[in-house]
Amino acid sequence: MNDMTPTREQRTAALEGMGCKRKRVEDIRFTQGKGNYVDDVKLPGMLHGDFVRSPHAHARVKAIKTEEALKVPGVLAVITAETLKTVNLAWMPTLAGDVQMVLADGKVLFQNQEVAFVVATDRYAADDGINKVEVEYEPLPPLVDPFKAMDHNAPVLREDLAGKTTGAHGPRKHHNHIFEWTVGDKDLTDAAFRRAEVTIKEMISYHRTHPSPLETCQCVCSFDKVKGELTIWGTFQAPHVIRTVVSLIAKLPEQKIHVIAPDIGGGFGNKVGAYPGYICAAVASIVTGKPVKWVEDRIENLTATSFARDYHMTTEIAATKEGKVTGLRVHVLADHGAFDACADPSKWPAGFFNIVTGSYDFPTAHLTVDGVYTNKAPGGVAYRCSFRVTEAAYCIERAMDILAQKLGMDPAELRLKNFIKPEQFPYHSALGWEYDSGDYHTAMRKMMETTDYAALRKEQADKRAAFKRGETREIMGLGVSFFTEIVGAGPSKNCDILGIAMFDSCEIRMHPTGAGIARMGTKSQGQGHETTWAQIIATEIGIPADNIMVEEGNTDTAPYGLGTYGSRSTPVAGAAIAMAARKIKAKAQMIAAYKLEVHEDDLEFDIDGFRVKGLPEKFMSMKDICWAAYNSVPPGMEPGLEAVSYYDPPNMTYPFGAYLCVMDIDVDTGVYKVRRFYALDDCGTRINPMIIEGQVHGGLTEAFAIAMGQEIRYDDTGNVVTGSFMDFFMPTMVETPHWETDFTVTPSPHHPIGAKGVGESPNVGGVPAFSNAVNDAFSFLGSTHIQMPHDFWRNWKAAKTLGAVA
Amino acid sequence: MQMNDSQRIPASKERVWAMLNDPAVLKQCIPGCERLEMTSPTEMTATVVIKVGPVKASFGGKVTLSDLDPPNSYRISGEGSGGVAGFAKGGATVRLEAESAEVTVLHYEVDAQIGGKLAQLGSRLIDSTAKKLAGEFFTRFAAAAGATTDAAPAEAGEKKGWIASLMS
Repeated sequence: MNDMTPTREQRTAALEGMGCKRKRVEDIRFTQGKGNYVDDVKLPGMLHGDFVRSPHAHARVKAIKTEEALKVPGVLAVITAETLKTVNLAWMPTLAGDVQMVLADGKVLFQNQEVAFVVATDRYAADDGINKVEVEYEPLPPLVDPFKAMDHNAPVLREDLAGKTTGAHGPRKHHNHIFEWTVGDKDLTDAAFRRAEVTIKEMISYHRTHPSPLETCQCVCSFDKVKGELTIWGTFQAPHVIRTVVSLIAKLPEQKIHVIAPDIGGGFGNKVGAYPGYICAAVASIVTGKPVKWVEDRIENLTATSFARDYHMTTEIAATKEGKVTGLRVHVLADHGAFDACADPSKWPAGFFNIVTGSYDFPTAHLTVDGVYTNKAPGGVAYRCSFRVTEAAYCIERAMDILAQKLGMDPAELRLKNFIKPEQFPYHSALGWEYDSGDYHTAMRKMMETTDYAALRKEQADKRAAFKRGETREIMGLGVSFFTEIVGAGPSKNCDILGIAMFDSCEIRMHPTGAGIARMGTKSQGQGHETTWAQIIATEIGIPADNIMVEEGNTDTAPYGLGTYGSRSTPVAGAAIAMAARKIKAKAQMIAAYKLEVHEDDLEFDIDGFRVKGLPEKFMSMKDICWAAYNSVPPGMEPGLEAVSYYDPPNMTYPFGAYLCVMDIDVDTGVYKVRRFYALDDCGTRINPMIIEGQVHGGLTEAFAIAMGQEIRYDDTGNVVTGSFMDFFMPTMVETPHWETDFTVTPSPHHPIGAKGVGESPNVGGVPAFSNAVNDAFSFLGSTHIQMPHDFWRNWKAAKTLGAVA
Repeated sequence: MQMNDSQRIPASKERVWAMLNDPAVLKQCIPGCERLEMTSPTEMTATVVIKVGPVKASFGGKVTLSDLDPPNSYRISGEGSGGVAGFAKGGATVRLEAESAEVTVLHYEVDAQIGGKLAQLGSRLIDSTAKKLAGEFFTRFAAAAGATTDAAPAEAGEKKGWIASLMS
């Protein structure tokens, strides 16, 4: 070998495969303003639609007068429920098995509900038209408090369900009841509580909030009357699911529906579901024969398309006086708003909330969830988390701190005492999950050592003493959070959406010159798929990542996939990529064996090609194999080099992490300062450490927002009072603290590359870390639990209630 | 939203009562009232322009007088719609107490409810706006009674913050 021969390290580095901090290829267009978003789609003759929305939370619609609106120059049509009834689209099915009004049919059930759709030549004309639509309402008593939903005299919200005692998830026990979901062993758990030496009980609320992506939900629908084809450009996290849903409800042949999700400016769960805007734009296009664009404004996004959380979790833990947990009992009151439009796998009315036993070895647990209707916007999406996992993690992590406080134990020590041990994996939880792998003790200890946890506790004790002596008005909190996520939905045995198993897919097609294209069933909304998917292929088949183009979002070209949400892309589609790449590699090996004139078994893969075992100079690069695939394949073999994989995961993956938040709060003003935030994540195999770090930064920032102020709040009459960024907390770089990230690596044993998914971990683990820090700060003043969000005013109020402020 | 307060009016109880039932006086005193017409002895229709924070809307609606106990008390209530800006409804129970032959104390209990965009964008300003409007009403009412009172024109002369001035 001469000096010019690249070393093994150089050859590996040239691939920019897994483990490489490869720069995001999509950023070249994003940072130059050259992205292509839905609102960039401008078609000849395109019309614009906009909604007349209800000012009332609950009212009967007596009349809708459209005559004046139709006189406004530029206004072409006003669509109402009556119009939609002619095509049987006044109502649409939800992902959760309920039905939802597309446009108000007789009643409105939440403020800003869609009442009529005005179609005009431009957005301004549409808005002028909206001002001229007269709607006559008869206000009805609104139901805002979920705890009053099942009162004897609570108003009837869903008249369409009158007399229906069974819903999509079993019996309904009240006219505002949606479902009851029960998991675990009640008798064993009750017995554990009877025997318990120590118990705690607390109602822990996770308030209603909203994913609030910067790009709101939007679409352009274009119906070609000649071909009978409908093309929809939309902000869809799951384009294929949208195509199937549209086909089923609009009764259009699925091959005649083309769904295209171009670049998406953030989704966070908000863009999973189907919204009235899509249906109305499609109907308007079919009626007018012209393309119709619908783009939500900020208020509409915050107040009408899917919210997140709104879980009220009464949580009890039984334990020994030494601090060993012996039982967990949780009852959740789930506020779903006016329609159950929760985006969960169909059989899971409360998502994977039964991960609520967390990282701890609970011998027994029992969970019940009651879903109720209220006069609020529908939804219940997984805002940067797997289905209801962040609610579960918040519930157990807050409860463990409350137990530690009652026992007089350090919260980190209590967790170490109760962790599932490394040798217990695969671990079967009391509520039915099989955790794939984990090493919780190592992660926790690394967090404690890196942050010098013991020294921080000492400092806190000194500060508390100083506070009691009146020397300082600042209190210090340490927020410990140790979360286990459940992501990668999911195995077909228990996960489907409307009957479609939650697999995902990849199609790889290699070109003669050693380049290729990978088409995916997923859809990036900022996750960097174009970068990371190519890295997996690079390592698997030895072609540089730069030579692989990744394409997503076009249902005509992409293989069927269930989309990107719930941290499922890497666990499911990431596996499909590896499996498709391995099919390519297997065929490449046959071609190489033929060309090198040896038996396949005599070959070994070596970074970027195949080498004959024992004869290092006999080598054929993947680049050359690609060429050979198109001109000299072995006799009897089909030419070409491409593969498709549909991956049905055998299990979920279980990423975990140890977080610590150090916070100082001024009791006189309630102003907090996040002094330090340390996040250790274990997401198994790390594909691109830089992208992981970016994901963690983003997730922590959203967790910070939620825990410290972000809220969709309603007043007593059902008005949304946080409907704009004036009131809805959206942290900027001014408010956002500095993040420290760290990691351990515990690969998933069942995933082809051992990866577990990371995009949502920081939101799941971050929220309890912030909330525990606030609660820990106040605990020495006598509080056990203060509800989120912990904004300045609420902190000050807590201090006042606890007597720390006169 | 609820507000309870009282106001000293330098006029006899009978005169105050008469004024409270006079659409011309009411029109003159209700801030933003552009039109007020009597349709029956206890019913009126009105157009009122209300501005809360960034939202300004013209409300059309009806005003009803009920629980009349002349010259002691009544309830005045109304509801109106401002189209896309939302809706408002509310009322006030008004009770008159003669302090002397020439001075009447007017007690009022106001409850008001607003909805729609007004409530969404202006929620933080509703209470202060309502107090300001009530203050304006009684300042004008006292003026109409033929004398000045010490009713402070709440916030009227107050210097606004720069954000507030942007929005009003």
